[in-house]
Amino acid sequence: MGGSDTQGRSIKSVRKAFRILELLREHDGMSVTDLSVELGESKSTAHHYLSTMESEGYVSKEGGEYRLDLALLTLGGAVREREEIYRRARGDVYRLANETGEVARLIAEHDNSGIVLYQVMGDEAAEPHVPLGGREPLHCTAAGKAFLAELPTGEAERIVEATGMTTYTENTITELQTLRTELQSIRSRGVAFDDEERFDGIRCVATTVNTVSGDLIGAISVSGPTERLTDQRFEEELPRTVQNIAGAVEITSKYSTWTDEQ
Amino acid sequence: MADDKGLRIGILGLGALGQNIATALSELPYEFSGADADPELRTAFAEEYDAETYDTPEALMQSDIDAIVIATPNKFHEAIATKAFEHGLDVLLEKPLAHTLDSARRIEEAAERAEAICMVGFHHRYRNVVEIAKRYVEQGYFGDVTHIEGKFVRRRGVPGRGTWYTSAEIAGGGALIDIGSHVLYNVLDFLEWAAIEDVSGTVRSDFGHNDDYAYLNMWGEDEKGTIYNVEDAINAFLVFEDGSTANLEIAWAENTRSTHSYRILGKKAGAEIDITNTLNAVEPVPDQRNDLTIYEVRSVGTDHFVDSEIMTEQNNPFRTELETFLEAVRSGTRPERCNVHRALEVQGLLSEIYEECGDRV
Repeated sequence: MGGSDTQGRSIKSVRKAFRILELLREHDGMSVTDLSVELGESKSTAHHYLSTMESEGYVSKEGGEYRLDLALLTLGGAVREREEIYRRARGDVYRLANETGEVARLIAEHDNSGIVLYQVMGDEAAEPHVPLGGREPLHCTAAGKAFLAELPTGEAERIVEATGMTTYTENTITELQTLRTELQSIRSRGVAFDDEERFDGIRCVATTVNTVSGDLIGAISVSGPTERLTDQRFEEELPRTVQNIAGAVEITSKYSTWTDEQ
Repeated sequence: MADDKGLRIGILGLGALGQNIATALSELPYEFSGADADPELRTAFAEEYDAETYDTPEALMQSDIDAIVIATPNKFHEAIATKAFEHGLDVLLEKPLAHTLDSARRIEEAAERAEAICMVGFHHRYRNVVEIAKRYVEQGYFGDVTHIEGKFVRRRGVPGRGTWYTSAEIAGGGALIDIGSHVLYNVLDFLEWAAIEDVSGTVRSDFGHNDDYAYLNMWGEDEKGTIYNVEDAINAFLVFEDGSTANLEIAWAENTRSTHSYRILGKKAGAEIDITNTLNAVEPVPDQRNDLTIYEVRSVGTDHFVDSEIMTEQNNPFRTELETFLEAVRSGTRPERCNVHRALEVQGLLSEIYEECGDRV
């Protein structure tokens, strides 16, 4: 799992520009004053950064606030198109949402978190808790634990030790020993569960997708409220559905150079 | 197309089936090469048969070959077959023609456009006893055939649990599209390709996805039930436009003895074919039956029943099928048995049965 390299040479102003983009996302827009405080820079410096980004189309000004702009979606869209699992499985995820009525997602592993590449809401689904592109920790989500289970135990543990095991709900796994047992059961069953470990009242089932050479390309998940994801459906029916879809995606991906689908 | 030095065949898909084809070709003998997306299968194939391998169909088709045999998962039949036709190659596809009716139609159209030989491997049709029964039907020995019973039931014989065989998306179905397609071919052939009028039936899936599925023998790998969304049994009743009917009993797994058999009921005579291979065999010699009995009633002297047991050589149908295909490639004459048009009719009926009985379990 590749982390970003913070060692070595880096250009401060570029780092600052990205930090600004992150802050604007977290705050859903900020004034120059608020941003300068958050950055620890003068107002004029903050303003220079923002107006440069505005002229490039990556932020826009509305009233007194700067917000992220659509040029970022152009970049994001291009990134998503490049992800193999997105190209291979989005149609299946769409069907998964329609068949189950719940929220179906494609998740990619990036920098020790899971990023939502694509999500489709079935007929029963309410607004999802995580937005498109949203980043979620590994230790408390079904897809995240499925990713961890692909790794040797030692490596998985080093990652969660580094990222920490934040408590989100009563059910969040916060002990390494518990996580170790959980990952073992995920490996043997081939499917991972989130039983209200990230959000109260929300359950999720996920499984990973690998290429023929064994490279992890992402995970497919389905999630919904505990009232609908009840015993039999949560423990058997949805895991089967998700595994059937992931299995078919893997086989199709194996023969991708054999067919015209790309 | 080829001269006396013989044909060169390309095998696409080097799993268990591709290996069977390679074995048969090396016994005949013919030269062949192979292609698969899976590097492990390529290596194993190259070692076992000392044959050249390629990682894409394109690379294989650009090499010096005369025809190809497609033994990949059903979903990929179309892309490979149509590419082969563009290269001017003749094609033998493993049954069924495709994973869906639409895909099957496109293969047939492409074969027509290219005027290529295109056959589908319903290899049980090549068993001597099946061929004999069919010719008796054709000669009118049985009179009008009114009903056929076709059974292909395995006690425990789910192929490759958790592989493409048990994925609806990749295979297009379960027991019916796998072993049932053999039965449909033979039933339709005995009924001289009558048009279907009505279908009713039920599907079940009670065994294959269970963790405690127990068996003696399996075709392909057992990956447990991780991918399993197909039927493992189907019972159907078919009514044809000419008034004839057929009863189908198809299962990968049921609590009964294994059977692959046909009953042909005609107005003048009837027949029973038993070509069961029990898959129970623990000994290397499989229990392969090769029985054909004809039932008649006569009144010479006094009323009596005549049961005629047909004694004939037990041929290797797989090999007869390959020889038929290779002969067609050599002569450029499209064969009657198992051609793409017949295969498309089988696919149409498969699709209708799934529509009536449900295709998801």
